[in-house]
Amino acid sequence: MKKFDIIPFIFWMILSLFIIILSHKIGLGELHNPGPGLMPFYVSVLMFIISFYLLLRYLFKRVHKEKTIRGDQSLIGLWKIATVVVSLVVYALFLEKLGFLIATFILVTILFKTAGMKRWSFTLMGSILTVLIAYFLFTYLGLSFPRGILQLR
Amino acid sequence: MDIFTGLMSGFQVCLQPINLVFCFVGVLIGTLIGVLPGIGPTGTISILLPITFGLPPVSAIIMLAGIYYGAMYGGSTTSILVNIPGEPSSVVTCLDGYQMARQGRAGPALGISALGSFIGGTLSIIFTMFLIFPLAQAALRFGPPEYFSLIWLGMTILIYLAKGSVGKAAVVVLFGFILSSVGIDSISGVPRFAFGIPTLLDGFGFVPMTMGLFGISEVLTNLEESTDRTIFKSKIKNLLPNLQDWKRSIGPILRGTFIGYLLGILPGGGAVLSSFVSYGVEKRLSKNPEIFGKGAIEGVAGPETANNAGAGGAFIPLFALGIPPNSVIAILMGAFIIYGVTPGPTFISQHSHMFWGVIASMYVGNCMLVLLNLPLIGLWVKLLKVPYKVLMPLILLFCLIGSYSLNNNVGDVIVMIIFGVLGYIMRKFGYEEAPLIMAYILGPMMETSFRQSLIMSNGRLSIFLERPISAVTLIIAALLFISSGFSFYHKAKEKVKE
Repeated sequence: MKKFDIIPFIFWMILSLFIIILSHKIGLGELHNPGPGLMPFYVSVLMFIISFYLLLRYLFKRVHKEKTIRGDQSLIGLWKIATVVVSLVVYALFLEKLGFLIATFILVTILFKTAGMKRWSFTLMGSILTVLIAYFLFTYLGLSFPRGILQLR
Repeated sequence: MDIFTGLMSGFQVCLQPINLVFCFVGVLIGTLIGVLPGIGPTGTISILLPITFGLPPVSAIIMLAGIYYGAMYGGSTTSILVNIPGEPSSVVTCLDGYQMARQGRAGPALGISALGSFIGGTLSIIFTMFLIFPLAQAALRFGPPEYFSLIWLGMTILIYLAKGSVGKAAVVVLFGFILSSVGIDSISGVPRFAFGIPTLLDGFGFVPMTMGLFGISEVLTNLEESTDRTIFKSKIKNLLPNLQDWKRSIGPILRGTFIGYLLGILPGGGAVLSSFVSYGVEKRLSKNPEIFGKGAIEGVAGPETANNAGAGGAFIPLFALGIPPNSVIAILMGAFIIYGVTPGPTFISQHSHMFWGVIASMYVGNCMLVLLNLPLIGLWVKLLKVPYKVLMPLILLFCLIGSYSLNNNVGDVIVMIIFGVLGYIMRKFGYEEAPLIMAYILGPMMETSFRQSLIMSNGRLSIFLERPISAVTLIIAALLFISSGFSFYHKAKEKVKE
């Protein structure tokens, strides 16, 4: 990932520039009466300087000693991560419409399969059990879930 | 209230059935997550935080603290039996612990690690009781400039001790400060960086943020790593170390307690650094350093004691100064604030029953942990066989339910997912999440003290150098920062990485 290290440096620089402008707009005030933008302004100026220094060091020194990545970077790994993230986002978007039981059952089934559960019978049984235990346990603890199309609390 | 009376009142609080139950639940969960690689105390405390909102604050803090120090016990089991550290603080235990297990001495390795942890944990509580009062007394005299300088020093040490590059850690800290400034400014009442989004007026939710950064991102990282485990199959016998083992271990245990405790107090130090330094010291002091890495009991006793003592020491800056030294304690501090209690110099006098209750619960919790970790070791070994493909969906489900239940709001779930992905990306590029959460917690305190100092001094920045404590603190911070540019620092860091 070392070759992609430049991306976060540029991201930090753009972000800090953005915050510098916004802080200035909010109002820096005076030193004897600091405004709400003063601290974020100083912080983002410092952030810009450090990320610019890191960028220069990266471009000119080309330090390759540091390993900056964990994991095996396999396509399967990335595919699993993408599946989990997309499932979580879709779950969040449809939780209130579908209701806790249905949405969670679908999500847990996808998660079990993504995690490597092979047999469908185990996956489905595991998902049903997990959802029911979670539902009864948390409603017992006083939590309320979206009713959704089943109209169950 | 003197220490003895205080401690007795603490036991009265802690021995109430409800608190005893939550203390047990905390240390049980702590041991469980310590044993299971893939989820640590930071993630677990974040995930369980919403569930504790309905509990009395004392019971909730007793449970959350139990998870923290309980995880230090459990971490060694996986290191010794599977050669995979359950917690980062047990990484060095793998070196000699696993070798001992291979030589048929898994029992004494597990035994000395539990007993050493007990000694280190208990002594650290005693030290805390005696140290906290003078420190809190001194802290009462601190004004905004001292607080600003102390937090500045804390952040500098955190950056200095970061696992990766100093520059990257510094950027993460500054990013944490920026995130903490989102929402309505507490002094002027002006909304900052909220972009008209009502949810952002209160800032990013602390709980969904930590759940994402430590829970979701941990799961995403583990998804691409192999989770095959080979559990050591021999029968575990003779859990109690023999006289020879004790003779070899007592020195490392006592040294580990002191090293762990002192490093636990330092920001960024905590249990992980304590165990590494203890191992290094033991190897250096040993007459036979060549046996280290080949099953030396000193290499298990020292670090395992140190990580527990470090966990105990970490409570000192939280209780006395209101400044958390590491990310787990930062989340605990967040919990305190959510329960309406502000840790700091006045915490002990204003909430003495809570302070002493938590201190007493640590004694009780440590006793429970020895009982949980020695006779029940077989149960924990069986738990190691739970595959990650079963654990992963459960961890994610807990995160989702936890974040939704905060306000019955899908927005919190989305915030958690965003921070989960951000945490994952940060890990991939070699940025740590712990400094971010520390800066997020300390940001508002640092900003308020900075602005109050400027108002006090009529705009003179020199106020930070005119007051002795503040000046000394800033000079130490500057020296640390400068020294990070020297080669000895980089050499030491390379050595730690190796």
